[in-house]
Amino acid sequence: MSKQIKFSPDDEEFFGSVGSFGVPKFDNAMNGGVPRGFLVVGFTETGSGSELFAKQLTSPAEEPDNTILISTNESQLEIARVFNKYKWPTDIAVRTLGEEYNARVLEKELLASRYRLEGFKLPDIQRLAQTRFVDDDTQDFLTEMTNEIMAMGPYFRAVIDSLDFFMQREDPSRVVAMLRMMQAHTQIHRGILFVTVSNDTITPAIKQEMAAIADMVCDFKVRTIGSDFETSMIVSKFRNAPENLSIMVYRVTPEEGITPETVERIA
Amino acid sequence: MQPATMYTRDRCITGIHGMDEILRGGIPYGSTVLAAGTCGSGKTTLGMEFLVRGALAGEACAHFTATEPSVKLLENIRQYAFFDMNMIDSGLINVFDMDVLYSWLGLDKASFDLDDVHALIKAIVDIVNTIGVTRLVIDSVTTLCYKIKSEQLIRDFLFTLGKKLATLGCTTILISEITSATENAHWSSFGVEEAIADGIIVMGDVERMGHLLRFLQVVKMRGTAHSRAKHAIELTPLGVMLTPMLKWGAVSDKTNRMGV
Repeated sequence: MSKQIKFSPDDEEFFGSVGSFGVPKFDNAMNGGVPRGFLVVGFTETGSGSELFAKQLTSPAEEPDNTILISTNESQLEIARVFNKYKWPTDIAVRTLGEEYNARVLEKELLASRYRLEGFKLPDIQRLAQTRFVDDDTQDFLTEMTNEIMAMGPYFRAVIDSLDFFMQREDPSRVVAMLRMMQAHTQIHRGILFVTVSNDTITPAIKQEMAAIADMVCDFKVRTIGSDFETSMIVSKFRNAPENLSIMVYRVTPEEGITPETVERIA
Repeated sequence: MQPATMYTRDRCITGIHGMDEILRGGIPYGSTVLAAGTCGSGKTTLGMEFLVRGALAGEACAHFTATEPSVKLLENIRQYAFFDMNMIDSGLINVFDMDVLYSWLGLDKASFDLDDVHALIKAIVDIVNTIGVTRLVIDSVTTLCYKIKSEQLIRDFLFTLGKKLATLGCTTILISEITSATENAHWSSFGVEEAIADGIIVMGDVERMGHLLRFLQVVKMRGTAHSRAKHAIELTPLGVMLTPMLKWGAVSDKTNRMGV
């Protein structure tokens, strides 16, 4: 039996049935915004603007302490710079798994290489003789991240940018299994979860499975026209609202971030 | 013609009651000795007392523990009156957890390859060289060698380690776990340790009058004459006590039974 959550009428009224994408023109194009309880999967290409879109999606931050941005590629500093630039709220939770991986795994590996190559110095030996236990520093970032999402309360807003980090290090079927859990949690708690994954890191079978789990699928594209780039987003799946399926060409403005220029309905 | 002067190697006096008499003065310096014994035969206590006696003589000692966490080892060993925690605190006896060492060297994996084995040898030799260790115990070499998949690699590991430690003047006891200490048994788990070691001390149990008695027997010790008789071990609060065992005492040793 599925878990039941009671939502107060006041909260229902405050949060509404849809949440903003953080881009008013996108909200209009999607007939109001992203429905609460939706898992949105973005299949991306390099340079398509998906990273900015991901950050922008956290910017409505109805409840900053119930909003999280999990980035696997960028540093805290880089993210803060973007948020400050667009004047988006900076009091949301931000986890940078790339940085954590560097600190917890790569630095340890680097140190091990140094010990193997250069040997132990006296202070190292003294510290080694006093160290009684191996650091129980869990390296399972996927489980950690899933737990973090699963611990979020009703009407949460979470963005994971991107799953490439996990697809490259874990069994992709395990990543998909975790995504299913997060999708169920999002649905029950009427949250909004946006995850990105680049087309190059997944097989067509995994892409198909992820698209099946998702409530909304966006394909982020970039192409060159003459000496210019054109970035676009294809909304190829929108559960229970096929009228929202569309191709949107967008650009980046200093005022609004990502802004759709043209919207072409495909259904 | 004058007789040649008898050359005797310098000895590492173990300080263990009865052991130096068996070895006619102690273990030749720089030797790698395999202490092979069944479970509960007193290997760890013997190894730790070997270090304590060295520390009391002002020698720097090191103990690498792979079979139990050092916290547990120290808790067990501090029940003996001969042991003093100050020796650990003051750095006279340095106890290293192999798990921690593996982790620091990036060796937290199921099996070791050639590079890993060399890294491990380098680390141990580094430690011995840097702090001037003259007495070393690895407890146990069996647990350590389980991670080394090929017999050839185990041989290389033990040979290279023994050679380097000997060069540094470090007398080493490699504790080996065996399942039987009878005459027909192997004195090591992998069969190669006993061939490479300079000395072999076997420890086990014999049954006498319904009681299990611990015994110790020095099977081999290069560089010194030694007794090859079985000696009874008593683990007393003051340390290991070795006393000669009467030949006819062991029920299992039928050829030595009186009247048979």
